[in-house]
Amino acid sequence: MQKDPHIARAFDRDLEAVQALVLKMGGLVEAALLDAAVALETRDDELAAAIRAGDKAIDALEEQINVEAARIIALRAPTAGDLRTVLTVMKIAASLERCGDYAKNLAKRSVVLSQMPQIGGAAGAIRRMAKAVESQLKDALDSLIQRDVELAANVRARDAEVDQMYNALFREFLTHMMEDPRNISACMHLHFIAKNIERVGDHATGIAEQVIYLVTGALPEEARPKADMTTSVKGVQS
Amino acid sequence: MDDMRYLEIDVTAQTNKMTARGVDVFYGDTHAIKAVDVDILDKTVTAFIGPSGCGKSTFLRCLNRMNDTIDICRVKGTILLDGEDIYDPKVDSVQLRAKVGMVFQKPNPFPKSIYDNVAYGPKIHGLTRNKAELDEVVETSLRRAAIWDEVKDRLQSPGTGLSGGQQQRLCIARAIATSPEVLLMDEPCSALDPIATAQVEELIDELRSQFSVVIVTHSMQQAARVSQRTAFFHLGNLVEYGETGQIFTAPKDPRTESYITGRIG
Repeated sequence: MQKDPHIARAFDRDLEAVQALVLKMGGLVEAALLDAAVALETRDDELAAAIRAGDKAIDALEEQINVEAARIIALRAPTAGDLRTVLTVMKIAASLERCGDYAKNLAKRSVVLSQMPQIGGAAGAIRRMAKAVESQLKDALDSLIQRDVELAANVRARDAEVDQMYNALFREFLTHMMEDPRNISACMHLHFIAKNIERVGDHATGIAEQVIYLVTGALPEEARPKADMTTSVKGVQS
Repeated sequence: MDDMRYLEIDVTAQTNKMTARGVDVFYGDTHAIKAVDVDILDKTVTAFIGPSGCGKSTFLRCLNRMNDTIDICRVKGTILLDGEDIYDPKVDSVQLRAKVGMVFQKPNPFPKSIYDNVAYGPKIHGLTRNKAELDEVVETSLRRAAIWDEVKDRLQSPGTGLSGGQQQRLCIARAIATSPEVLLMDEPCSALDPIATAQVEELIDELRSQFSVVIVTHSMQQAARVSQRTAFFHLGNLVEYGETGQIFTAPKDPRTESYITGRIG
């Protein structure tokens, strides 16, 4: 955090208020993601419906953050670290909104999947993946509040693990589909779910990169480790 | 081409117009400026910012030897204009000030007609040979200062009868009438309303095509709007000097950050 307060204290209050909204939004997105994975595993349609309804609150928060950010830009003309805070907050809000949509989509698909036979241990694996991504998201937001570049770099590095989980699921679904075409429908849904959770991981990484920009004034230069190998998979031996 | 920036003058390609190296200024025992190095680029607006008493105006006044008029003021170090030392004893400070013009905080037109205010400099420096040429210089200067249309029908009225914003533009016309190469401006808009300020800022941007402009301002937003290079002074030190966009988005020195974001520091 910036150590010194502004001479105009109201400026500090404005910046803190808009960051508090981002944290609130982050909390809702994290909960939606975890709950959606639980709803999938436990085939809980009621929980899934609640998650779908809860996305409105996330969208409303994004709008509120944009309004606050525009107000700060118009009234306070932020510069340097203050300007980077406002820009970062807007970008993070957009990322979180997208993550909320992915959680909502997961909940929708879980309602469809609850009517189909289980595919091996996929639901459990997806819940573990959702847990890993949620912790990435949580740490990314913690790094924002603590202005912690090291933690942000750590979040960025951890994305490779999520990519590997996704790769493993991708291969598993491919195998199930080749074994029995009746699995295709469920596996397609599960694959979209896994892909969407992997996308949430990418957003968490993007948030961590924004934090690095916020603190240092420049985005990280070196390429982050990538482990999504599915783009080159042609088929699996069954 | 759709990209408007192609029309802008490429600042990075500009050469040094003025170079200051190891400049120290003392007022009696007070060390007002401490070892300042600055390059003022040609055809570029350079803004000096910093809290009151940081030395920015003092340093500005070194650039055309205005500090010579203060007895207790001593200037050490080197300041070059096109490679020539302006503190060389052979340099005539009056001639220097024709090349390095100045506009002050409060509009200070001479108690003369609008025409004579602008014609004064070219006359005493013998820059024109006859009345027709002088008329032309007066008209061009007033046009470049974006005030011609407002005063062309009353050139013989007193300059002091104009509004504050008009007086300041008249003073700018007076400063550019001697075809200076560098224009120093010390808080040129602090006594003006927002409209007149916008007009003077627009004018500064126009002038950049011909001279280098150095502006001292307390308005950080003004520095951000008009300049391409910004220098931040604090307690007589030049803390940071760089591209204006960089200074206002990602300053390197924490003191610059504290100052431009309005923090105590």
